[in-house]
Amino acid sequence: MRKLAILAIGIVCTVLFYFTIVSANKAFRSDWQLPRATGQEQAKYRLVLITRELETPFWVQVSGGAEEEARKRGASIEVWGSYGKNQEDFLKKIEIAIDAKVDGIIVQGLDTAEFKNLTKLKAAFYGIPVITVANDVPMADSLRRTYVGSDQYSAGRMIAEQLVSDMGPAGKVILMGDSLREYYQQQRLNGIYDVLNGYPDILVKYAETPEAKEQAIAATRDQLNGLPDANAFVAVNANIAGAMVQEIGRRSRVEPYHIYSFDDSHETGPLLLQGKLDGLIEQDPQEMGRLSVELMIKWLSGETVPLRTEGYLTDIRMAKAANAR
Amino acid sequence: MNSIQRKIWTLTAVVLFIMAGIWFALTSYNQKTQSQYNEILQRYLRMNEVTGASQQTVTALNNYLLSPTDDNLNLLERSKEKLRTARVDVLDLRNSGNEFALTNYMNLIDSLLETTDRSLLFQSEKESEDSAKAFSEANRISKYISEMTLTLLDTELRTYDRFYRSIIEQSAELKRLGIWLLLLITFLLLNFAYAFSLSITKPVQKLTQSARELSRGRFDLEIEVKSNDEISFLAKTFDRMRINVNNLISEIQQKAQLENELQQSKLLLQESQLRSLQSQINPHFLFNTLDMLSKKAYLEGSEETSDLLANVAGLLRYNLKRLDRPVTLYEEVKVLGQYIEIQENRFAERLRFRTDIDESCLYVQLPGLTLQPIIENAVIHAVEPREDGGTIRFAVADDGDRVEIGIEDDGPGMDEEKIRSILEEHPVKSEGHSTGIGFANVVRRLRLFYGLEDVIFIESGPGGGTKVRLKIPKAGRIAKDDQASDRG
Repeated sequence: MRKLAILAIGIVCTVLFYFTIVSANKAFRSDWQLPRATGQEQAKYRLVLITRELETPFWVQVSGGAEEEARKRGASIEVWGSYGKNQEDFLKKIEIAIDAKVDGIIVQGLDTAEFKNLTKLKAAFYGIPVITVANDVPMADSLRRTYVGSDQYSAGRMIAEQLVSDMGPAGKVILMGDSLREYYQQQRLNGIYDVLNGYPDILVKYAETPEAKEQAIAATRDQLNGLPDANAFVAVNANIAGAMVQEIGRRSRVEPYHIYSFDDSHETGPLLLQGKLDGLIEQDPQEMGRLSVELMIKWLSGETVPLRTEGYLTDIRMAKAANAR
Repeated sequence: MNSIQRKIWTLTAVVLFIMAGIWFALTSYNQKTQSQYNEILQRYLRMNEVTGASQQTVTALNNYLLSPTDDNLNLLERSKEKLRTARVDVLDLRNSGNEFALTNYMNLIDSLLETTDRSLLFQSEKESEDSAKAFSEANRISKYISEMTLTLLDTELRTYDRFYRSIIEQSAELKRLGIWLLLLITFLLLNFAYAFSLSITKPVQKLTQSARELSRGRFDLEIEVKSNDEISFLAKTFDRMRINVNNLISEIQQKAQLENELQQSKLLLQESQLRSLQSQINPHFLFNTLDMLSKKAYLEGSEETSDLLANVAGLLRYNLKRLDRPVTLYEEVKVLGQYIEIQENRFAERLRFRTDIDESCLYVQLPGLTLQPIIENAVIHAVEPREDGGTIRFAVADDGDRVEIGIEDDGPGMDEEKIRSILEEHPVKSEGHSTGIGFANVVRRLRLFYGLEDVIFIESGPGGGTKVRLKIPKAGRIAKDDQASDRG
């Protein structure tokens, strides 16, 4: 009996002692090291990639390519920008980048006076090189070092040629463009016109619309009313394509129309898969990001001086609905 | 010694030690946490300081541009200096998470300072439009700095998120630890206190039990307390006391017994004397008469009668004289001879008396009138009733440290019961005509005289005669008996 009691007391003691020790261990364990000041040398170059369309599939790929390349080359890069083409934020970010004296700015070109003012005057004043990516702004206006991205003119040509081969040499074509009339859009239109002007039987009508969905739908409706027997549509800006297809679909079946667009966006990819889009110009955003960083670093280190002012063009290709399916 | 005190001190020391340990652990833990909190707060404060300093700089610049006095310029310089200091401080905040942003941050501060200087330069060159432009840029940069501060704080929060959570977790764990610790200490102390109190009260209980036994008069139980403190000392002392008391009591008992025996022997002596006195009225007159008769018989030529009368007189004298003091065996044998002579005259051929005496043993002392009553008894039982008489053997022999005296007859003997009643000293109703002193009286006196029980043996069986053996110690009587007999 006495032995049993002693045994029980011993067991209780041991259990309590064990839990106390475990608890004390947890409470006093000091593994909460603060992220210490890294003594490592700073990255050689601090680059910023600035875009107006953060988190779109296209720009996610661009920044992915850029970050990978930067990591490879030991540079640090941050992706800044605004959402949904907010220009004010976008321009502010550029100004901050300039004021923060980054080593190089890779920026989505914006064909506005404020943008040009910033790159031409302020960036040049601080001696910060600017490379435009994906969307170009003429060298003369922006003092950019170079452009990395697709050749928008030949993209326009490519889409026009595809259109002609699909539709035949006669028909009515409606072109839908962004009312901002950016440089790259102009290039695309030039390409399209250059091809289609060679076919006198093709009637081309160009319409502009703000990018907002409701307005794009309204503009499409207007065009359909004005030209009910149109054969083909081309969305010069990818962001309009979705609204356009939706509006056409409300009127009749989409399939008889020849509908084309540039770039893949949230909407265009699935539309192509569904066969509602007949063709899509695909660019190579990852390569754009990669190449722009590579060129920037080469320029900064003086390896390639000067850069080609007309730009470094990346691949474009025609994705057809038939192939996609 | 001082053991109970030491026990109490030990308990107190253990409790104190535990408490000090806990206090120390908690204090050091608290300090550690506090310093970490301070460090974190410091980071936030430093970043905030930059914002404040940049805004102050812009305000000072604005004031100076509006009213370019020396005071305002001084103010501007001071705030610029402050901004520079803040910038240097911010440098310490660099870590892997915010390196890029922090570099930008510091460059922004540089830009702000440069723009401010530019604005001042234009102001001094009276190019107020450019100056205003630079000011608005400085203002913008200041705003960017504020925003960047927020971004940095945000990053900071994200970077330290795990850290903050671990702090919260640990404080929760600390609470749990407190509970466990409380349980453990409570349990340990309870057990410790129980064992401690038991170690004090158990010996006391035992002691109490022993004291109760003693008070009931049981002095033979040993008091045993197994502990190593004052109680054990107390118990030992108590035990010694018990032994002493026990000894004293047994001594007193012995003395009382002795006293009792003395009293008895005195009474017996008195009884013997009384008897002899009763039987012999005016003995001196009788002696003288007997002496005179003896002489007369001798003168008349009856020598045999004369001797007989002399023997009777001697015997009577001896009886009266020697009863209360020890005599030697020699005297006793002599008187026995006189007695036998008388009896031989009485029984003539019927009494056959044989002796076998070792002369060297006759010096031993024995109470007077011990042999005669036994012989008398033998004569009465073995000779008197039988027509052809009987034989009585009397032997004295050396038997080591004792002298053996044997009196043997060939009479009808006695049964067991009678022997026992004699040896147990029951007074036997005397049959016939003895000199007055009974067998039982002899047995009693012998035992008292020597202080021994085994001095007399009787062997008998019906028809087989009776043999009485006395074993007298050569050393004589023991001292206390001497004393007792002197008093009597």
